[in-house]
Amino acid sequence: MSLSDLVLSIADNKQMLGLRYAEWATRAPSLEADIAAAAMGLDDLGHSRVLYGCLEPLGADPRGPDRESDAGSLRSLQYFDEPWTEWAQFVAANAILDTAFTVMIEACVNGTVEVLQHRLRKMLMEERYHFLHGRSWLKSGVDATPLSEAWREAIEWFGPPDGETATFHKEGRLSMGPTELRTRLEERLETKAPAVHIDWKVWDPVRRRSRPGAIDDPTFAMLRGLEEKKYASGAAKEG
Amino acid sequence: MGPGGLTHYKRVSGDAVEYEVFARKTRGEPLHQVGSVVAPDDDLAVAYARATYDEERWVEMAIVRKEHVIELWQPGEP
Repeated sequence: MSLSDLVLSIADNKQMLGLRYAEWATRAPSLEADIAAAAMGLDDLGHSRVLYGCLEPLGADPRGPDRESDAGSLRSLQYFDEPWTEWAQFVAANAILDTAFTVMIEACVNGTVEVLQHRLRKMLMEERYHFLHGRSWLKSGVDATPLSEAWREAIEWFGPPDGETATFHKEGRLSMGPTELRTRLEERLETKAPAVHIDWKVWDPVRRRSRPGAIDDPTFAMLRGLEEKKYASGAAKEG
Repeated sequence: MGPGGLTHYKRVSGDAVEYEVFARKTRGEPLHQVGSVVAPDDDLAVAYARATYDEERWVEMAIVRKEHVIELWQPGEP
């Protein structure tokens, strides 16, 4: 596994987070929360584009042709496989997973890899507002189930204590390893992570998750531009 | 999710309050009011103000609770 694999994982997860945020742009509990969902969605989609753009300078682009046909080849977490049906799922993702990705980006910015130091810094400024939004809603009290699921997936995503994330930390390319990332996440959220047992033997280091599965078909079709083509061909027929 | 799906949510600090949003595009101009947001606490108001009014390239943005604005007089008053 290379640092490019990790960057691609951040990019794919931010892309899916942005799309799932955007799905709530007309369903959040208030008009302000609608607008915030749309704005955060745009931010994270933008961040994913910047991260994809880092793959070439890093020297290895791990994206293969299977990404066009196999949703399971995308590296997003299980949390994003299906659209969220409850606001609590939005809040848990916003507070815990979005912050977990931000903590990893901090580790990249404060590491020794120049392209990541320079290109990812601005994300940290924008993410400040995501954090305030997520933390505030988290304090309002949401269901425990999505919270514990988000914590589990965040800890899984940081990787095993002796895996490649730890190696990148030892080499200085990341300023934090899995243990430090988890501690930093807990500090930012001012709470301890729940006790979770992770069987690292079944953990997939490429997708950084333990369970199989993939994003839903309509979302995958949208990502591939198939939905757009459908409408474009309809417009052509009408013309 | 229907509208009823949100009824069990408790907003962060009880009743939401109104915040006025101020911004300026250059250091040379004064802050002026660009709008308002309603939020249950300062953190969420900051996030909402940024999300709602971020379409311009502001060099500065600030929010203040409307209840903290001290009015000297209002329209129609001598």
